[in-house]
Amino acid sequence: MSDRVEAVKKLFTSKSSRIETNKGETYYQELFAKCEARLNEMRSMQPANKLDFTDILEDNGIDRREFMKWASATTAMLMLPPMFTPLVADAAMMMNRAPVIWLELQDCAGNSEALLRADGPKIDEIVLDIISLEFHETLQAASGHQAEKQLDEAMEHFKGKYLLFVEGSIPMGMNGQYGTIGAKAETFHDHLLRCAENAAAVIAVGSCATFGGIPAASPNPTGAVGVMDVVKNKPLINIPACPANPANMVGVILHYVLTGQVPELDSLLRPKFAFGYRIHDNCERRAHFDAGEYVEEWGDTGAQNNFCLYKMGCKGPMTFNNCSIVRYNEAVNWPIGVGRGCIGCSEPDFWDKYAYERPMADAKIKAPTGGVEKTVDEFGLGLLTAAGIGIGIHAAASAVAGKRENSGESHE
Amino acid sequence: MKQGYRQVKRMTPAMRIIHWVNAICMIGAVVTGLYIGHPYYQTFIADGAVDKYVMAWNRYGHFIIAIIFDVTSVIIAYLYFFSRFEKPYKKLIPNAKNVSEFKAVLVNLLTLNRKKEFDSSHADSFNTVYFTIFHLLLIWMLLTGLQMYVHGLESGISSIGSWWPVMLHATTDWTVAVCGGSLMDVRISHHMTMWLILCWVVFHIYYQVWRTIFWKEADIAIVIGGSKFVKDDTLH
Repeated sequence: MSDRVEAVKKLFTSKSSRIETNKGETYYQELFAKCEARLNEMRSMQPANKLDFTDILEDNGIDRREFMKWASATTAMLMLPPMFTPLVADAAMMMNRAPVIWLELQDCAGNSEALLRADGPKIDEIVLDIISLEFHETLQAASGHQAEKQLDEAMEHFKGKYLLFVEGSIPMGMNGQYGTIGAKAETFHDHLLRCAENAAAVIAVGSCATFGGIPAASPNPTGAVGVMDVVKNKPLINIPACPANPANMVGVILHYVLTGQVPELDSLLRPKFAFGYRIHDNCERRAHFDAGEYVEEWGDTGAQNNFCLYKMGCKGPMTFNNCSIVRYNEAVNWPIGVGRGCIGCSEPDFWDKYAYERPMADAKIKAPTGGVEKTVDEFGLGLLTAAGIGIGIHAAASAVAGKRENSGESHE
Repeated sequence: MKQGYRQVKRMTPAMRIIHWVNAICMIGAVVTGLYIGHPYYQTFIADGAVDKYVMAWNRYGHFIIAIIFDVTSVIIAYLYFFSRFEKPYKKLIPNAKNVSEFKAVLVNLLTLNRKKEFDSSHADSFNTVYFTIFHLLLIWMLLTGLQMYVHGLESGISSIGSWWPVMLHATTDWTVAVCGGSLMDVRISHHMTMWLILCWVVFHIYYQVWRTIFWKEADIAIVIGGSKFVKDDTLH
């Protein structure tokens, strides 16, 4: 009973997705002083690796001006006033003082791919290059017992200070035996809990780690769940999307380095600076949506003229993410830009509820019994037909019974 | 007036106006709502995208209808408890009298009017429960609809002030959790509830026509003239 009371309380008091973009002069003055103090403290700390940010920028042909442009754009993305720009630039240069341990669980390594972006790295990727990546199962050279030793050492050395990035869902079925790691066959679940115990904060990256993603799609054979379902009592940030946008990963790490705090989160623990806005409201094809100009089928005249993809199942109107603004791969392009709809990859249960590439009215839904899959409209029409048949039977029977009554007995 | 019958007042002018406003609004909401859920006709207007605004007008109409529904809902909720004519909530209390009346009316429907053991001159418990189901469905539509609407006000500001999105979040965010946790569930629920309302309407119209034909008390006239006619027992 008390559980239910708690659940109801939570329902009505949960933080909404509303974003406060201006918190007032005094708030930012205080934050500025706090960030400055923190950066000074970090400056005195020993870098965790020998990589020098300015050298790497130079090697990649990025000049100071370009770097400062990036810093001011990132400041804006983090919803901080322009006076924070020099601090953001400083924080970026001190990213090698932020130890990161990266776990790879049940997933396709797509977020690691997004993180690497080996082809023509720009500043976002370079920042991710120089973070002190202490342990990354997919990327590191070490393997076997050496890898395990490295993880243990990193966790011991940076106890309570490291950021734990988690990629991939956690299979809970069969006592977690669907996913094990290392010579001792430690389950993903145990592995995650052990690494999370001494982390400063846990950052779930990608849709699998945040909400279970594709492994958790119906019928979810492995019992996959997201990090927030198993890790409790830790600062937790979700960066969903498939894959998570490197710009948002950088934003979260920068925010942490800068302020020592997690950014403001919405009810799904997603940073509001990235997931506070709806794709639909910043979409370049929005005018066609309002005009009722839709792509009717792939390759038709509408498709050739960049019409709205709503009828092809675009889920931009119910997806909160910043990819219509920051786009992917250094703003080269994004799903709508290449002419295919959004599949809502940053929302919970996206594979079952968003990614069917049809408008919602044509979505297959499960009947309350679980088995039958019909579209919402088929189901509704079925109900209406049943009601109609029932009425028809009743009407016919009433007509017959009424006649019998009239001929059988007379009241008058 | 037919000999031996007396006229009973059943709906005040305000109730009748609300009824027809609701009926017209619902047709409008279904027509525009089906378009929003799956645009079922194409825009054949040879203007640039900014001029024709077909989806935008459909959504605008849908929202205006929603606001009218909001207002009539508030009035109806008020009348349920404070009407000077008839307070429908009294027919909803599951006391012995209401339960037996509910059963008697249901038996009348199921026995095809062979048995009619209740007083049909006043609003009965069965119909009141049935109308209440409709109002509950409508409230659900308002809550889920406003939840979807506030997604477009993510900046937290609106032309009438920031209180509006704040209020919408405070009053409707819980529907996401109730529907199943994602914004899509709210949409599916909103769309599904439309079908339930259509089923409700089909039976409602049938039942009122059926009463008119078999009870022979001109029930269908209630919603237009406000009164029906029942046999005057005092004359016998």
